[in-house]
Amino acid sequence: MPKSQYVDPGKVFEPGFIKFNDIPVCQYNKTLEEEKALYTKEDMMRIYHDMRTIREFETMLNEVKTKSAYNGVEYNNPGPAHLSIGQEASAVGEAYCLDNNDLTFGSHRSHGEIIAKSLSSIHKLDDAELYDIMKEFLGGTVLSVVEKHMPETDVKVLAKNFLLYGALAEIFARTTGFNRGLGGSMHAFFIPFGLMPNNAIVGGSGPIALGAALYKRSNHKPGIVIANSGDGALGRGPVLESFNFSTMDQITKLWGMDGKYPDGGMPILFNVFNNSYAMGGQTRGETMGFDMAARLGAGFNPDMMHAERVNGYDPFAVIDAVTRKKELLLAGKGPALLDVVTYRVSGHSPSDSSTYRSNEEIEAWKEADAIAAYRTKMILGGVATEDEFNAIDEDIINRMTTVMRLAINDEISPRMDLTKDPEAISSIMFSNEKVHSMDPSREAEMLVPKEECPRVKEIQGKIRTATDANGKPVSKMKMYNIRDGLAEPIIDKFYDDPTLIAYGEDNRDWGGAFGVYKKMTEAIPYHRFFNSPISESAIVGSAVGYAMCGGRAIVELMYADFMGCAGDEIFNQMAKWQSMSAGILKMPIVLRVSVGSKYGAQHSQDWTALVAHIPGLKVVFPSTPADAKGLMTSALEGTDPVIFFESQRIYDKGEEFMKDGVPEGTYEIKIGDPDVKREGKDITILTIGAVLYRALDAAKTLEEKYGISAEVIDTRSIVPFDYTKVIESVKKTGRILIVGDAVERGSIMKDMAANISELAFDYLDAPAIALGSRNWITPAHELETAYFPYPDTIIDCIHEKILPIPGYVAKHNFTDVEKIERYKKGV
Amino acid sequence: MATVVIMPRQGQSVESCVITAWNKKEGDTVAVGDVLFSYETDKSSFDEAATVEGTLLKCFAEDGDDVPCLEPVCVIGTPGEDISNIAPAAAEEAAPAAEEKKEEAPKVEAAPAAAEAPAATAASTDGFIRISPRARLLAERTDADLSKAVPTGPNGRIIERDVNALLDKGLTNLAAARAAEDAPKAEAAPAAAPAAEAPMFEDVKLPNIRKVIAKSMHASLSTMAQLTLNASFDATELLAYRATLKANAEKLGLSNITLNDMVLFAVAKTLKNHKDLNAHYLGDEGIMRYFNNVNLGIAVDTERGLLVPTLAKADTLSLNELSAQAKELISGAQKGTISPDKLKDGSFTVTNLGSLGVESFTPVINPPQTGILGVCTITRKVKEVGGKDVFYPAMGLSLTFDHRALDGAPAARFLKDLCANLENFNLLLAK
Repeated sequence: MPKSQYVDPGKVFEPGFIKFNDIPVCQYNKTLEEEKALYTKEDMMRIYHDMRTIREFETMLNEVKTKSAYNGVEYNNPGPAHLSIGQEASAVGEAYCLDNNDLTFGSHRSHGEIIAKSLSSIHKLDDAELYDIMKEFLGGTVLSVVEKHMPETDVKVLAKNFLLYGALAEIFARTTGFNRGLGGSMHAFFIPFGLMPNNAIVGGSGPIALGAALYKRSNHKPGIVIANSGDGALGRGPVLESFNFSTMDQITKLWGMDGKYPDGGMPILFNVFNNSYAMGGQTRGETMGFDMAARLGAGFNPDMMHAERVNGYDPFAVIDAVTRKKELLLAGKGPALLDVVTYRVSGHSPSDSSTYRSNEEIEAWKEADAIAAYRTKMILGGVATEDEFNAIDEDIINRMTTVMRLAINDEISPRMDLTKDPEAISSIMFSNEKVHSMDPSREAEMLVPKEECPRVKEIQGKIRTATDANGKPVSKMKMYNIRDGLAEPIIDKFYDDPTLIAYGEDNRDWGGAFGVYKKMTEAIPYHRFFNSPISESAIVGSAVGYAMCGGRAIVELMYADFMGCAGDEIFNQMAKWQSMSAGILKMPIVLRVSVGSKYGAQHSQDWTALVAHIPGLKVVFPSTPADAKGLMTSALEGTDPVIFFESQRIYDKGEEFMKDGVPEGTYEIKIGDPDVKREGKDITILTIGAVLYRALDAAKTLEEKYGISAEVIDTRSIVPFDYTKVIESVKKTGRILIVGDAVERGSIMKDMAANISELAFDYLDAPAIALGSRNWITPAHELETAYFPYPDTIIDCIHEKILPIPGYVAKHNFTDVEKIERYKKGV
Repeated sequence: MATVVIMPRQGQSVESCVITAWNKKEGDTVAVGDVLFSYETDKSSFDEAATVEGTLLKCFAEDGDDVPCLEPVCVIGTPGEDISNIAPAAAEEAAPAAEEKKEEAPKVEAAPAAAEAPAATAASTDGFIRISPRARLLAERTDADLSKAVPTGPNGRIIERDVNALLDKGLTNLAAARAAEDAPKAEAAPAAAPAAEAPMFEDVKLPNIRKVIAKSMHASLSTMAQLTLNASFDATELLAYRATLKANAEKLGLSNITLNDMVLFAVAKTLKNHKDLNAHYLGDEGIMRYFNNVNLGIAVDTERGLLVPTLAKADTLSLNELSAQAKELISGAQKGTISPDKLKDGSFTVTNLGSLGVESFTPVINPPQTGILGVCTITRKVKEVGGKDVFYPAMGLSLTFDHRALDGAPAARFLKDLCANLENFNLLLAK
């Protein structure tokens, strides 16, 4: 909502038509003679070699899956193998145009792209550079195997062996694979060749590739990004969100800030390897209505995403199209969309019996096989002889057989030994690094010096405690509150880390829906701080891609309830890439989500349990300004993905616990360290989030009215979590109630109660009790006291489940009978 | 007619807004749409435009002022108009905002008297005792008698405070065992019916008191450094004095003072000068507890087993008083009517096997006391008096002491003093 753009009622109703340009469909028609002028014989033979290498690699896997042997070498591979036999020309054609600055992302069916892009890079890199890459990768683990067992003086041939072995060892889950065997067939990648992670979630790479393009765009880096997918991925919301995100007007209209910064569109090509089938569903004619995938481009921007449909069985047609798209992208005219028509002769997986297509169809496509056709065309056109092609074939088959023998040898290519090193995977779940700036070589691009940032000035004038020297409450407008605690470290990081970007809905002019980013717009340029479309998948997924490229991002989803819209991006992408890459990738992302109240069932949920359940995410939920600042600082210094919960109930809270107020300088609070907010001796109340203040009210009543002294501990973090302080407290008090605003069933409170019962069993005078909200929808604000834990609920629960208070009459029913009844009914 | 411009409410949770800038000042002419002032909430900034034309007559707030929502900010009207009735509420009442209608602190109700003891105790109908792990741990450590616990936890569970309540009342298993065996007759119904064929043996369930004695004695021997010193004294004078007492008992209204009473009397007096043996050794707490008076435990053989009633402040009693009280205690113990209160707090114990002909033995200390005196039978011994062998009645004494609490020499000195006092009983009475 920039004020500079005027929505004029006098114009928006003007009559007219939306005009579309023609979308080219298989328009490539150069003759071999024309092609000979563009490509040398070596180029043409290389294209054949690369296609043939992919074919052999996939054939080998197919043989292993279906016959447990390839070329006489026996092996059983229980893991997946989604093969791309038939699609080789498309992969090689695309890779032919790319260099090391260009990044590709793929799908579950990307062995072909891995091989094609790597062979292209091997061809283009000079020997010294190539050798250094191999030597440095994973401390030379992969290289040492091929150097020892496939000695080779030609660096490019050595690199070919390196590529085939590293990829196959990865597929066979060996520690000598490209990702130490932790990624596997569907997630293999090799960043030094610009080969970014492939994704087992259909369409998963859409938003991630967008994030990589955003990294290039916001950090002015060379090269383009290609998001490869199948046609089935076009049914996925995150992919369509990414199309939209990459075409948004502001990139070309606002990000340049009138010439202050480089201009141009998003440098991304969405490349669809259109093989007609989404597993078995036929996209054209059955599961989609677009007829031809290229048509989608017309819906996203006036450039129609420069969409085009090309013949993916002709490598020259693909090279021609990708070359043109790359030029457009480098000229700042992105994004682009290619619909590369191809066919998967092999099944979706080796267990596919092709019940959804006729044998006749498969045979016809085998007949039209791109590799055989290419070979015939070259021979007939006098480019090379039958023998020359046979020699290439033979070399590939021999090389593949040797590579396979190495990759299945348990001594040369061992699997991870979790008996000897049981914590091997634990050690890569988080990177746990501290990196102040992701790119210390650059200055951060900012519009004004820090001292002139309006928010910095505003915070300077604020009182950093909740009460003044006389104990009187400080006026809300003058008090340093949780918003300020969050903003301070974010602003600092914007000035210190040039890669930091922040985006989400209404982040810029509005200042974030809850005012955390207020008065920051004046200080931060658009390309580092912008309003995103309402596209949660694209918001989170792009942050993942941004981080993979070496940047740091803070993304915001407004309400925590909207995490559901970004489910895959949070649960499968953000959480898993550090460990699936065996620690090669870092994921410095802070995902801010806010827990609402007063806004009913879809805007009031505390979903800490959902993210805590997913290994690989850190989860924090501060409740005081000082904790918000310290934890945000830690989250932004770190290299792990942090889900940062905030609460709309308490953004206004001042600092009530630190006598001298929120410290002015930079400081970190260790993620995982709970904090005793009130000392006591009779019962411990452990709180998650905003309920802290209701627990303190309950503690006050317990003390004043019933002589029960309650110790209140704020968890502050959820993952990781250090139980030491809590157990110490329970040893003292013998009783504990864990309270949070999430619904009770399956909550973090339940999880913590179970852990505390286990860890402090002998010291407990009553079971560790979890108190959450009822297992209902959140009702209207006026009814919330019956739903969320309030001080009276807390005291009732203590009275009924832990420590009966003489003469006390509870209003809430916490009896065992009632509990069994509720669970029986599922409420 | 003047128009009052109020501070708009920008959202439910906004209580006040800060004026960031005035675009107009008092006296300025204002047209519809003119921005009067800019203001901001903690989240956003806004411009307030005039909706009427006229002259800005009065501004109630300045730049930077925090104005409560819906309060007047300024007035637009015609110059000269009377606007004296318009003023922000804040100006009328002296800063009431700060006062906040503080709710009357609820009168702290006197915490209701401790919950009335529920009728049921811990053992439920299914015989399963519900008890928290913490309470169980405490009970084990303190020997609390859980059968007497009044559960106050949820679902009839014994919780920590219930065990503490037992301890406050001195309800331990030991006390219970020593005291509560007063209806043994019913249990001990003799099996009159003769068995058709005599079995080789009979398994009899151990009575609780046996278990308690076993536990206590074993604990005593396994945790202390006990050793016994044996000595004897010439009881000639003691026996003579006893004969005198016996002869005059009726006449003087004295109770039947026994030799044992006289030994107890001598022990009580002698211990006053040997505080290490009138003490508790509390090694776990790192202290010795010295008693100001002598609370003399008297080991009594009863049908149910050993009981040790305590003769409180024995050192303050006359021989006659001591004798009378000891009789009462011993008889109470034997009948099983003795109060449990009288079975605790002993500082030293005397046990007598002399009447059973024992010449010396090694009594076992009742922890945490530091000593126990065994009184043995009288034998005839020979001593040289003026170059002649003379027979005399010798009474044996066996003192067991805890070497952790005191050394051999001080223990021996006690024994020596005791023998001297007993040999010169008349002098002792005179002290």
